Amino acid sequence: MTATGDGWRRVHPASPFVRGWVALAALFFFFGRDAFERLLRGEPVFDERFAERAPWVLIGGSAVLLMIVLGYVLTWYFTRYQVGDGYVRVNTGFLFKQQRQARLDRVQAIDVVQPLLARIFGLAELRFDVADAGKAAVHLAYLRIGEAKELRATILAQAAGGAPGPAQPGEPGQPGQPAAAAALEAPEQAVLTVPPSRLAGSLVLSEQSVVIVLGAAASVLLSAVTENRGFYFYLIPAGLGLIAAYWKSFTKGYNFTAAVSPDGIRLRYGLLDTQAQTLPPGRIQALRVSQPPLWRIFGWYRIQVNVAGYGTEGSQGQASSRTTLLPVGTLPEVLGMLALVLPDPGTPDPVRVYTAGLNGFAPAAGSAGRAGASGGPAGSTTPDDGGFVTTPRRARLLAPLTWRRNGFTATDTALLIRSGRWWRHLVLVPHQRTQSMSLQQGPLARRFAVVDLVLHTTAGPVAPRLIQAGLDEGRALLDAQAARARTARQRQRSEHWLARAQHLEHAPTEGPQHA
Amino acid sequence: MRTEAIDPPGVAWLRVSPRYVTVRLVGWALGNLVAVAVLALPLILVLNGAWTWPPLWFAVAVPAAAFLLALWRLVLIPRQVRSIGYAEREDDLLIRRGIFFQRTLVVPYGRMQYVDIGAGPVERWLGLCTVKLHTASAGTSAEIPGLPAVEGARLREQLSARGEARLAGL
Repeated sequence: MTATGDGWRRVHPASPFVRGWVALAALFFFFGRDAFERLLRGEPVFDERFAERAPWVLIGGSAVLLMIVLGYVLTWYFTRYQVGDGYVRVNTGFLFKQQRQARLDRVQAIDVVQPLLARIFGLAELRFDVADAGKAAVHLAYLRIGEAKELRATILAQAAGGAPGPAQPGEPGQPGQPAAAAALEAPEQAVLTVPPSRLAGSLVLSEQSVVIVLGAAASVLLSAVTENRGFYFYLIPAGLGLIAAYWKSFTKGYNFTAAVSPDGIRLRYGLLDTQAQTLPPGRIQALRVSQPPLWRIFGWYRIQVNVAGYGTEGSQGQASSRTTLLPVGTLPEVLGMLALVLPDPGTPDPVRVYTAGLNGFAPAAGSAGRAGASGGPAGSTTPDDGGFVTTPRRARLLAPLTWRRNGFTATDTALLIRSGRWWRHLVLVPHQRTQSMSLQQGPLARRFAVVDLVLHTTAGPVAPRLIQAGLDEGRALLDAQAARARTARQRQRSEHWLARAQHLEHAPTEGPQHA
Repeated sequence: MRTEAIDPPGVAWLRVSPRYVTVRLVGWALGNLVAVAVLALPLILVLNGAWTWPPLWFAVAVPAAAFLLALWRLVLIPRQVRSIGYAEREDDLLIRRGIFFQRTLVVPYGRMQYVDIGAGPVERWLGLCTVKLHTASAGTSAEIPGLPAVEGARLREQLSARGEARLAGL
């Protein structure tokens, strides 16, 4: 907002009030309630006994108010940021100073968050996760919405390795007037919107609903059997809590919109508090498509992702909404999103592979990959199953339901792991994001000559684990995957995605055609 | 039980120092003997007549079971230490461990963020150290314990140099 020397800028002066309005409101409530009640009753604002003490109370109240406001002003005064030189720097604190700087080419994701009050005032918080800035994200709260968007564009442009942004050091920005060289918002193209009705339906049919219905039935049954009305009373707070939880999920996921731009995938959602996330291309470390049993009725899926910096977010609720790439979507939408995340699927027929990963089963006759020591997609697999190599038939006692489902396949760009018969999961890890891997085997697994392969990824909701692969297949996969990850890493060195090969830049826009 | 190794064939494993058994023994003694002693407390009280509640057989059985378990783990320690191995390959480091619960870990050099070297009091006394590798993933618990200090330093330098050469982004 306010420019100081050397390109340092301040956030909007109203921001501490927007952030700390609860404290102010509490103060006014505390002092104002009494007077207000008196007014309603037609009595004088201060009664006689109170009158002599009134000055002291007023002085005390104003002192507290003054201290709070002074604190706010100081916080605001000492919060400065600077963009340029390949870094974003944020200084905060007047007693305990903190300087945080983040390398732009390591920006993992960037969000524009608007809580309800900030939205009313046209303000927004800019938040970005940088993998090398320690664990926490960098926050800039609050900026004018236009300014926040402009800054986002600047940061993304610099991170992409494009032209330098407007806020170069030594070039003070003018308040309210975008600098001449301001990076333009990258054009974007809407991909999908989740209708509210489907969101509500997905919540009703979610896993938690099943548990709730069972729990409610059990307590009603118990109270009927024991003729104890007490159980009903437990239902009231439980019900209120549930309504709150559903309401929260609903407002969080409301009006979920995904769009693509050269900057990456843009996600927007929220009813009261809105959030706009931008995920630059190739920043997704791992992805999981899952389907709870009841969602199968309508063919819905959910996509969650691991992004470096997201998983370590403080509160669970916030983290879970940020790591959701698609709260509920149909199969074509899922395929569309997968095409965005992985512009180059690395296989000639991605739809068949993905569909097999989501819904497929190996033929009952036995493992498709019995002879597939190569671990590759070719192998001796049947064409119907999308090349998935599943748990060998000998281990069917170990996993009677899922042995035909647990499986993996590798395309040229990603490893796909599927599992679960009722709760269906498909995990996708791009080769170039593979961190490290381990093979694990317990005594029971050894009897059946199967191994688990665990892929390590950044913190997040997705924990890629291939369960009960055949011993030979697992061993071969470990080697093959190490080799694939190596070549993928060699192919991509630069973190500047615009500076990379041109086809990657264009790929997202042609993405949905894969679906 | 016939154990077929789960690690890739044709890897020449480097083993950790046999002295690491001592480190594990000290850890074992601290953990298990204390546990057994605490569990044996009711037995003493029952024998003294201070407590009447746990029947004698129960008061005997619990510490006895704990003791047997501790013994079992003691017997396993040398084999467990022998099972720890590491191998530097062209592009990645392999680490294996475990007998019943085997684990083979592959860490690409390009993915290493930093390498730690640490030594506890017992390790330092024996001239050993533990080399720890960190990647961007918290799940990578890549640890090679019980390396002689010289070998640990060499490994760290080697890993750092290789990591530098092959460093990739996240």
